[in-house]
Amino acid sequence: MYALIDSNNFFVSCERLFRPDIIGMATIVLSSNDGCAVARSNEAKALGIKMGEPLHELKRRFRIIDGPTSTPRERRPRRSPGEKKDDNERSDVTTFGGASPSSDYSQTGVVPYARPELVVFSANFHLYGDISRRIARTLARITPRIELYSIDEAFLDLGELNISDYTVWGRVLAARIYHDIGMPVSVGIAPTKTLCKLAADYAKHHPESQGSCFIDAGTSTSAPRERRPRRSPGVERAGSEQSDASTRVRGKPLTKTIDGFAPVTATLLASTPIQSIWGIGWRLAPKLKAEGIRTALDLARLRPQRAEQLMGVHGRRMVAELCGMSCIPLQSIHKPQQVVSRGRQFGHDTNDFSVIEAAIASMTTSATAALRHEGQLATRASARITTHRLKPGYQAISRDVHLYTPTSNTGTIASQLARLMQHDFDNHLSYHKVEVTLWDLVPDTQLQTDVFGTVDSQAHTRSTTLMHTLDALNSKHGNGTLRYAAEDLSHAWHPRKTLASQAYTTDWLQLPEIYAIQ
Amino acid sequence: MDDVIVPEADDLGTAVGLHAGFPNAATTSGQGALSLDRLLIRSPSSTYFFRVRGHHWQGEGIYDGDIAIVDRSITPSEGSTVVWWTDVGELRIARWHHNMQQNTWGTITATIHQLVPIFD
Repeated sequence: MYALIDSNNFFVSCERLFRPDIIGMATIVLSSNDGCAVARSNEAKALGIKMGEPLHELKRRFRIIDGPTSTPRERRPRRSPGEKKDDNERSDVTTFGGASPSSDYSQTGVVPYARPELVVFSANFHLYGDISRRIARTLARITPRIELYSIDEAFLDLGELNISDYTVWGRVLAARIYHDIGMPVSVGIAPTKTLCKLAADYAKHHPESQGSCFIDAGTSTSAPRERRPRRSPGVERAGSEQSDASTRVRGKPLTKTIDGFAPVTATLLASTPIQSIWGIGWRLAPKLKAEGIRTALDLARLRPQRAEQLMGVHGRRMVAELCGMSCIPLQSIHKPQQVVSRGRQFGHDTNDFSVIEAAIASMTTSATAALRHEGQLATRASARITTHRLKPGYQAISRDVHLYTPTSNTGTIASQLARLMQHDFDNHLSYHKVEVTLWDLVPDTQLQTDVFGTVDSQAHTRSTTLMHTLDALNSKHGNGTLRYAAEDLSHAWHPRKTLASQAYTTDWLQLPEIYAIQ
Repeated sequence: MDDVIVPEADDLGTAVGLHAGFPNAATTSGQGALSLDRLLIRSPSSTYFFRVRGHHWQGEGIYDGDIAIVDRSITPSEGSTVVWWTDVGELRIARWHHNMQQNTWGTITATIHQLVPIFD
């Protein structure tokens, strides 16, 4: 049995943790370049805001409220009548509350005060990472068999735990994470990871489930159960009869088992569109729909051979998973990373090589710092610059360097990558994105020799010491205190982090404030 | 997310039940160097730090600029010092009483009053 612990609207929930004032307000978090919405509160979803919707579109439909500066304390003086708004807000926020609409409004054709408010934050990964680690620690105390699947999702293997009622167990866990850490989560429990995803999704969208849903696909494989329709296994809740009824999907309980599925499970599968299944991407969904496979139930009913024809081995596995046979085991978290990659988009597309060189140096700095933190060295490094994917003439340049002596030295790697890139760089193109990747990582304790069998160990020690000094200084005084000269000659490539909240939990100088007032 | 999971203080022999004071984990001999974390933090994943602003709580020994250690996992009782939020969503220090259940953020377990700041 597995459990998936999935945080609800994770980034937005993190932002709300220290900002009770924005609870209940439509809120979104933007991608790292402030380009588009990557997380939405339920209120924002209800307003029809889509995942990935660009900020400039949203500005037309909503009154954008700057998340970090809209605290109750900072908002109060702004309410005074006749006060002018900031310049950057002028186009979005015109006269509010009864005053006669200005000329902006006749141009846009939208009555300004009719636009709903939308609170906007830039991504604050210091905060999200810290909250995510807190949840992971809490889960790791339940069982060491844990897979941190993404920043806001973790799978647990419940196999060795003695749990009598999974639904209640999930509900207690969700309540505890909310109480102790402050994050709302949904818990999905099922015999396979794919079904866990569906269960967690169900719990998320049905408040009456109190954050927990259990799908037991395996226990009902025989003919219809006549005498005990209410106690039939499937999506099960705390065991009381009245609560049982509320969990039935869309209030239409089936009385017969379908193809061996418990009725409630079948209803849940039938109400899940194919594109919501874990592992069915935007590429696969249309293909399956063309075959008449529209719901999870359709897919689960597919013969394994047919599934393999349509989707390869992957498809066969997916059908088995939906039927309750686990095929996707837990991935260990202790496997050291084999690749470290850092990428960033330029604030504006550029053909200036000094900007690109700065970005390569900066990405290398960040990637090598991660490498040193893990105690690893790279034997191969690559840099890749690309033009905008959505503009005509999309182009990418990728250059690879083999490091004969494995290293984590920023200077060595950055200078070699920049030199190679300069050689092939085409200044007629405007570049959009840069990415530095370090490959073939080895532990720094077993420094391999290069092809000639020699290692300049003194030089190695010297560079290691220098790098550790750099990391220590950066961690003490904030990232970017010490840099390589080539790094960041220009700020053009730097993401515009205008709306990010403070690093509440990872910097003593940015702690949230509590007021000692009457 | 690839951090090594470290056990929390209450894995190391501290009872799960809550006590008003701090359990013996920090004072047991033979543990090596003294750790302020062990002394002040019962449960790292539910502990947050805040900066105190304002002078109203001086009489209780909580000063402007102090760092408040707040443990969300501790259930407050009548008279506990807590962080709660007002109707407009401002976080404040308060004495807990039962009708604050809805707006309670966490329980303040200690404050740090630094005479010589190290970070500035």
